Amino acid sequence: MIAIKNLTLEKGDFYLSGLSLEVAAGEIYFLLNRLEQDNDFLFRTLSGFQAAGSGEISYDGNRLLGAERPKNALFIDRVNDRADFDTEIRLGQWLDFLCALGLGRENIFKTLLVGNFHERQLKKMVRDLAPETFKLAYLAVCLAADSANVVINDFIKGAGKSFELKFNKLLLQKKAAGRSILFLGNDIFYASEIADRVGFIKNGRLMFEAAAADLKDMDIKDLYLKFLN
Amino acid sequence: MLAFLRFERRRLFGEKKNLIFLGFISLFSAYFVWSGLNEQRQFQAEKKIFINFEKEKFSQFVTYAQYGGFGFRLLYEASPLNLFFVNSSVLQDVESNIDSLEAIKVESSFKGKKLFLTRGYFKDFAGIPFIFGSLFMLYLGHLALVSPAYLRFMTGRMALKKYYALTTAARLFWLDLFFVSLGLGLFFLVQLGGVAFSGAEKKIFFSYLLFLVLLLDFFYLLGQLTSVLVHLRKVFFLWIFIVWFFCIFLLPEINRISVFNQSLVLESAEKVNLDKFRTLMALEKKFRDYLKVNPAAPLDQIRQMQKKFAVQFINSTYLVNTGLESKYLRDVERVITGHERQSVLFPTTFYHFLTGEASGKGYYGYLDFMDYIMKVRNRFMHFYLEKRYEGNDDAVESFVKNDENIFRSRSRLPKTFWLGLLATVFYGAACLTLAYRLLRRQVFQP
Repeated sequence: MIAIKNLTLEKGDFYLSGLSLEVAAGEIYFLLNRLEQDNDFLFRTLSGFQAAGSGEISYDGNRLLGAERPKNALFIDRVNDRADFDTEIRLGQWLDFLCALGLGRENIFKTLLVGNFHERQLKKMVRDLAPETFKLAYLAVCLAADSANVVINDFIKGAGKSFELKFNKLLLQKKAAGRSILFLGNDIFYASEIADRVGFIKNGRLMFEAAAADLKDMDIKDLYLKFLN
Repeated sequence: MLAFLRFERRRLFGEKKNLIFLGFISLFSAYFVWSGLNEQRQFQAEKKIFINFEKEKFSQFVTYAQYGGFGFRLLYEASPLNLFFVNSSVLQDVESNIDSLEAIKVESSFKGKKLFLTRGYFKDFAGIPFIFGSLFMLYLGHLALVSPAYLRFMTGRMALKKYYALTTAARLFWLDLFFVSLGLGLFFLVQLGGVAFSGAEKKIFFSYLLFLVLLLDFFYLLGQLTSVLVHLRKVFFLWIFIVWFFCIFLLPEINRISVFNQSLVLESAEKVNLDKFRTLMALEKKFRDYLKVNPAAPLDQIRQMQKKFAVQFINSTYLVNTGLESKYLRDVERVITGHERQSVLFPTTFYHFLTGEASGKGYYGYLDFMDYIMKVRNRFMHFYLEKRYEGNDDAVESFVKNDENIFRSRSRLPKTFWLGLLATVFYGAACLTLAYRLLRRQVFQP
């Protein structure tokens, strides 16, 4: 379970005040925030790269103290540019390295197969991969180490529909396996499609929370204009 | 560690542009070693001509007066290790003429082929890894940490400190292995080419190689630090160039200008020659005055007086002049020692000093040469005066026995070698630690 209690963050223009929420096992919670950089900042805090101002973050009851990597959660960040991962090496060699560090090769390939990954991609340099192929490989590596809690930062942004569908499939598999999933993003339509619950942050506060099923009865355009515009 | 070694080997040697650059460094290093070897062979051939010329010149002398007037030449022969450092030496191909005149001359000829032997920039084995190796290492240091996003991703798999340390160690292992193999490979190839190195020379070359590798490691770590300082941004290349230019060209040049400024306290060599000339002329005047007072003195008496003046010359004037020359040389030595101490302060400045000394044609080689000249000259003066005024001119005997007119300079390590090495290690360690601290602050924000 992911629990955030009274979390307050402040840095530059970014301000978050008194955020509290809980994500239960087998639940996908979609936290909507208009600005990408705000999501990035919150994601960095949740993944332990940024110390929280005040409040509490815990994964399965283990409190996150200051800037440190939480052990019982896995994090999938938005990949803006595959050049950020250009280690001047072929994809297969990069995966070999990560497997040698302890990641399960089987788990990686299980995810890759869901994404219709072709073996020949392994021989390509990371920088030469198609953006979605790289995203898939990145996702496979992230998901290879299983964890009861998953935090995702706007991962499908910019991806095509087919990639989104593959990703949804994997996400739903995780949900079915009882994982608590917290998704940060700003796509209200995608949120209503994939999440169990949705929260809206505006002006640094969690303004509105609703079950995704209820969103279908609401005017999404109105919600968008009210909270995300 | 094995996983890191394998991964970094693939990163370094699987990338085409790295391979091209490494190939370029190997090829040009080999080319300049070959060129150095050719120069050395050429020198050996010319040395034979020099020895024959000197023998033939001597055979033409009929009197000791001629021998004293023309004298003989001393040739400076650098150690065989010089072929790796032909462009890094302080002295060019030099020689000196030993005669009965007062001025000590050290000259370099630009006649014929030597006119076209222009030196400068990086035209020897030591120059290629220094110029291009350092640039390459800076670049690879920059690439090592990839990006903040990648580091955050990897930190999810292992501690940042461990990742940083293992990546650095693995990359340095392969790069050091490359440069050591290149140096040793060329060293053994040269031996196969017929050049014999003594045990001491081998030790000096291996020590030089050790320093070279540490210097390149320092550049790698400096690249890593610079990269972290600009927040791993891709607009790094201007910075890389500025840092490289500053370390490789600017600092050694500042050091060179500084030693030149320090040398300004030295008296002019011409002034020393003039002082010596005046001392000699004072004695000559005495002799001339004697002849003026006794114009009808018989030849025997004049000869006796000449002998008396020669003895007086050796016991007073010559000693005074030798003292002036020795004092001047010790003043020069003090400037050199100051320069050596100052060079230790930064790895690139020390590298210049080290290669100069390892070539056998460095500052201390010059001092040795000057000492040798003075020693030989001293003996020659005694020989000449004794033969001229005591012996007869029936057959002129050569002063030069065996190959005494060849001065064999030895390669050496500067006295401050270990200090310079430690300073380089310190700089590297400082870059490594500082880069990690800054990196940690960038990845984990408090």
